[in-house]
Amino acid sequence: MVFQVLLKIFRKPTYIFIAFVTGFVVFAFAVLLPNIPLIVSIMRHPGIPFSQKFNLPISLLGSITTNFTLLSASYTIAIAILFGINLSIIVYYLRRKIAELKQGGIVTGFLGITSGIIGIGCAACGSVLLTSILALFSASWIITLLPLRGGEFGILGVALLLFTIYTTAQQIQNPAVCEI
Amino acid sequence: MEEQNGEKINKLIIPLAIVVAGVIIAGAIYLSPDKSAAPKNDPSPTNVDNTDVNQQLPQGDTASLDKMTEISNSDHVLGDRNALVKIVEYSDTECPFCKRFHETMNQIMDEYGKDGKVAWVYRHFPLDQLHPKARSEAVAFECANELGGNDKFWSYADRLFAVTPANNGLDAAELPKIAQYVGLDVNKFNTCLSSGKYDKHIEDEVQNAQATGGNGTPWSIVVAKNGKKFPLNGAQPYEAIKQLIELALQEK
Repeated sequence: MVFQVLLKIFRKPTYIFIAFVTGFVVFAFAVLLPNIPLIVSIMRHPGIPFSQKFNLPISLLGSITTNFTLLSASYTIAIAILFGINLSIIVYYLRRKIAELKQGGIVTGFLGITSGIIGIGCAACGSVLLTSILALFSASWIITLLPLRGGEFGILGVALLLFTIYTTAQQIQNPAVCEI
Repeated sequence: MEEQNGEKINKLIIPLAIVVAGVIIAGAIYLSPDKSAAPKNDPSPTNVDNTDVNQQLPQGDTASLDKMTEISNSDHVLGDRNALVKIVEYSDTECPFCKRFHETMNQIMDEYGKDGKVAWVYRHFPLDQLHPKARSEAVAFECANELGGNDKFWSYADRLFAVTPANNGLDAAELPKIAQYVGLDVNKFNTCLSSGKYDKHIEDEVQNAQATGGNGTPWSIVVAKNGKKFPLNGAQPYEAIKQLIELALQEK
């Protein structure tokens, strides 16, 4: 059922485009996140020609193979892909203007996306966002208690995104009817 | 009426969710561990109270890089000390990414080290909570330096990174074996290892790593000839480091 809905949606190039661009942005954000200060410093540098400003960020994308474990690289890529698909089907869903938009599906999608974002980062030697958020509560040590050192949030993000794609697809599949 | 209200609420969910997600991301970046904080006496997060954390804000700028301790004769440098570009690496011997980055840096030195373009400065940044063995391994590096000089320091580092399985997996009994492998006096090495004389030196480097903005390893600062500093977080690929070196070489 979900597969059929996805096929139906991604027959239209607009939705492929939305999914691809969103997925790439999420992937780039996740991979480049630890080096945002460096990228900002390069972008602001008046002495570096414009043509060279993008070489470094592009080469930093390669850190998915060097700065991530197999597990964290897997869920980072999965989150990016699912994030793109999720946004596409939500846009499709909204564009159909279905009156009985159910809050549950969208809220779960939001939870999946949020959890996915939290899970991003190098888990083995200090995750980025999770450490930052936990630091607010003086609770960075909690990461050391988790078996996957924070990777759990990434896996949770993948699971929630899959769930929300499923529930949104279900809602798309259901015909718009006036319930008695 | 109730249905209309429900529709209105539903229409607001997506923009609201996007705004909240944006706020979370921005907040987390803004509030992530300090780049400019004063060094703490104990780096262990369990000893950090809320006041300390709040004093660490904000981060994300590169101004804290100026807190890097100047490169001196007490530093361990591979390559020409007067090289055009210096890469100061703060490293944890049991971090798997540092192990990978060590190989990458050796590749970099093969290409840029011989003609004096790049020098590699090694500093200690053991993450005690994740890798309790890393600190004593840092001491072992210092003992190798004491007994055999700069060359033995790097030989010891290369060998340790080659044999450690990382993630706190190296047996402590391997440390004297590595010393023997690189040609050091094992008895003197063991005496040095248990002396505690390098504890302060290592702790100072840990504090300096944190003061410059390091919150994970490997944490590197690329210093150009004119003093301009670029932060580099994590085990970045060879191509990315090469790009950064080329940019730093353009700084006059």
